[in-house]
Amino acid sequence: MMSSVPGTDKKSKLLVYTIEECPVCGQKTKRAFQVGDYITKESAKCTKCGNTTRINLVYAEPAKPPNSR
Amino acid sequence: MQAGGVDTTSLLYIASFAVMIAFMFYGTRFQVYMALNDIGRGLNRLKIMKDKSRKEAIDYLVNVGKAPKDPTERVDQFLDYVTIMPVDIDPQGLVGKIDHVMTTNNDRVRAEVTNLLAPVNQVAVSQTGPVTVTQVNPVTVSISENLLEVASSLNLIHKIVRHYYLLGKKTNSYFTLIQLQMIMPMIIQEADALLNAVDSFKVGQPIGDGIGASIAARFMVGKEKRVVAKDTVMAISEYKGRKLYVLKAEGPMGYVGQPGLAIKKVVDEMGVKPTAIIMIDAALKLEGEKTGEIAEGVGAAIGGIGVEKFEIEEVATKQKVPLYAILVKQSILEAITVMRKEIAEASDKVVQVLNRVIEEKTKEGDDVVIAGIGNTLGVAQ
Repeated sequence: MMSSVPGTDKKSKLLVYTIEECPVCGQKTKRAFQVGDYITKESAKCTKCGNTTRINLVYAEPAKPPNSR
Repeated sequence: MQAGGVDTTSLLYIASFAVMIAFMFYGTRFQVYMALNDIGRGLNRLKIMKDKSRKEAIDYLVNVGKAPKDPTERVDQFLDYVTIMPVDIDPQGLVGKIDHVMTTNNDRVRAEVTNLLAPVNQVAVSQTGPVTVTQVNPVTVSISENLLEVASSLNLIHKIVRHYYLLGKKTNSYFTLIQLQMIMPMIIQEADALLNAVDSFKVGQPIGDGIGASIAARFMVGKEKRVVAKDTVMAISEYKGRKLYVLKAEGPMGYVGQPGLAIKKVVDEMGVKPTAIIMIDAALKLEGEKTGEIAEGVGAAIGGIGVEKFEIEEVATKQKVPLYAILVKQSILEAITVMRKEIAEASDKVVQVLNRVIEEKTKEGDDVVIAGIGNTLGVAQ
């Protein structure tokens, strides 16, 4: 009889990113999430216009599997 | 075929006949044995999950919350804490009673968690300028509350499964065990989702359920905020000549706030006469649906025990205000763990839908209430 209890999932590893957006020029920067980041928090200076950016999104996406060639 | 004077075919025939008769009498026992094995394995996994979440909660209280005393005993007491729901044989005023019990529970949990943690110096802005206040960090308190809630839920799941496992074993009840065996995969899946949530809670990352709050936050940035209900803030914004009353739970703490009471206060106490109430929330997707899909509808888009939903429906019905809902689809795992890219990237589309609903259902000069529903961990305003 097959077991009905699912085995331990081998989940794909998730990487969490923070997206900063400049409210003036709209430039978006993607970087790794750091503890203390939250949406709407003022962040680094914009590399394009020098204004203070704001954290717009924090999200996770699966880590790309290494090239298996 | 003959072997040493014995007919093998007849032997096999007799043997299979004997097996069939044995199964007729002992088949159920065999299945009970298999079910017990299966449930036992699942129960072990639940125990590991329960112990891990408890340990994570204690570690957080000690390492991040700098608990002055060993919190282990209090955490264990907390895990067995029960909330007794009011009697429902007379439903008159039942929602108010449930609200009262839940509020008492939430207040007590927060007070106890706050007492477990060490106060830290924080800079607050007062009328005379920045002042240093010594208090327990509210983000740490809310994260501790969330972690304890996860540990408590896993503890309860483990206890209930163990109860039916032992009851089925004791009474040799085939049907009890088979039913439990059948729902075990769903129970494990849900428990797994809860355990996964711990990693996101610990570092204060926004979770999938926070999509509604994160969209409301976009309308609140840079605006004056006021507290309208417990853990719930409101800001007034403007869109194409409409006055928007935007509500969400107060972030970046892991709160869900009291949106029902907040909408009631905006309408009843502040005298706002909204033309529409638009609610944005995460919704559980069905298998086969895509994560981040947007659904529109009518009605109060809010989960939970039902108190907030009742209050919103009541105020909307009394004032004859249409309720519109915008939902972002996600699984239970995605709703309580760090926000997935597909969900986060749906926010631009949700804002487009929201703007369209405002333009279609209201006109210039109207007041509109927008409520971003969900746990606002990692989402300020």
